[in-house]
Amino acid sequence: MTVPLTVLVVAASLALAAWAGWFVYRDRPVILRQLWGASVVEALVVVEAVVAGVLLAGSASVDSPGLFWGYVAASLLILPFAAAVAFAERTRWSSVVLLLAAVTVAFLQLRMVQVWQG
Amino acid sequence: MAGPEMTESKESAVTADTPAGQRVDGPPTRAGFGRVLVTVYGILALAATGRASYELATKFHEAPVAYLLSLLAAVVYVLATVALWQGGSRWRGVAWVACSVELVGVLAVGAASLADPDAFPESTVWSGFGSGYGYVPLVLPFAGLWWLWHTRPRAAEEGASA
Repeated sequence: MTVPLTVLVVAASLALAAWAGWFVYRDRPVILRQLWGASVVEALVVVEAVVAGVLLAGSASVDSPGLFWGYVAASLLILPFAAAVAFAERTRWSSVVLLLAAVTVAFLQLRMVQVWQG
Repeated sequence: MAGPEMTESKESAVTADTPAGQRVDGPPTRAGFGRVLVTVYGILALAATGRASYELATKFHEAPVAYLLSLLAAVVYVLATVALWQGGSRWRGVAWVACSVELVGVLAVGAASLADPDAFPESTVWSGFGSGYGYVPLVLPFAGLWWLWHTRPRAAEEGASA
C-alpha cells in the first residue's frame, strides 16, 4: 500500500465522519451530497485495492493475504450499507450510521497498514 | 377485565413516545436507533466471523478453546444482527437469546481472562471484556437488550383486542 493513498483515504473518511457528526448534532438525516462524498471515499478505497493488488503481484507481501483482503472487502461493503440506511431511515440515526461507517473505514485503514508492514 | 394488566398498559401508553395505536407487533427493531444497533452488530459480526474463520483455518490446534469461543461469538453476533434486522415476534425472541448469550459470554470470558490469563493464551473477541474491540462487545448487549425492551410489543393492543 502506498502511504499517500492511505493518508488520503483516512483523511477523506474522517472528513466524511465529521460531516456526518455535524448532522447528528444538528438532528438531521443524511443528505444526497454526503452520499456523493461517501462514493468518493469508496472510489479511493477501490483505487487503493487495485494498487495493492498490483503491488502484491510484484515484490510486496502481506502478513496474511486473507486478512488483508477481508479488510478491503469490509471497507467496500460498509459505506454502501450506510447509504442504503440513509434512504430507509430519514432521521438523525442515518447520520449516526454514516458516522460509524466512515470511522470504521478509517480504522480499517490502520489495520491494513499494520498487516501490510507486519 | 384484567385488572393489573390494564393499569400497566395504560402507564406504558402514557410514557410511550409514539402513538400506541399501531403497536400490535411492537415497533420495528430495525428502525431509528435500531439502525445503529444493526450497523454495529453487523460490523462486529463481520470482525468476529473473519477472526474465527482465520483462526480455525490456520492455527486451531494452538488454542482450541479460545478459537471455539471466537466461533461461538461470531455465530451469536450474526444471529443478533439478523434477528434485530428482521424483528417480529419470533426473531425478537432470537434476539433476546442472542443478546443474553453475548452478555453472559463477555462477562464470563472477560472475568476469566482477567482472573486466569494463562487459561486464555490467545485472545478472543470477549477477552478483557472486549478491550481489543474498544469495549464495544461489553456495551453492545446492554444496548441490544435495552432496545428490545424499549420496542417490546405493548400490552395495550392485546388487552383491547381480547
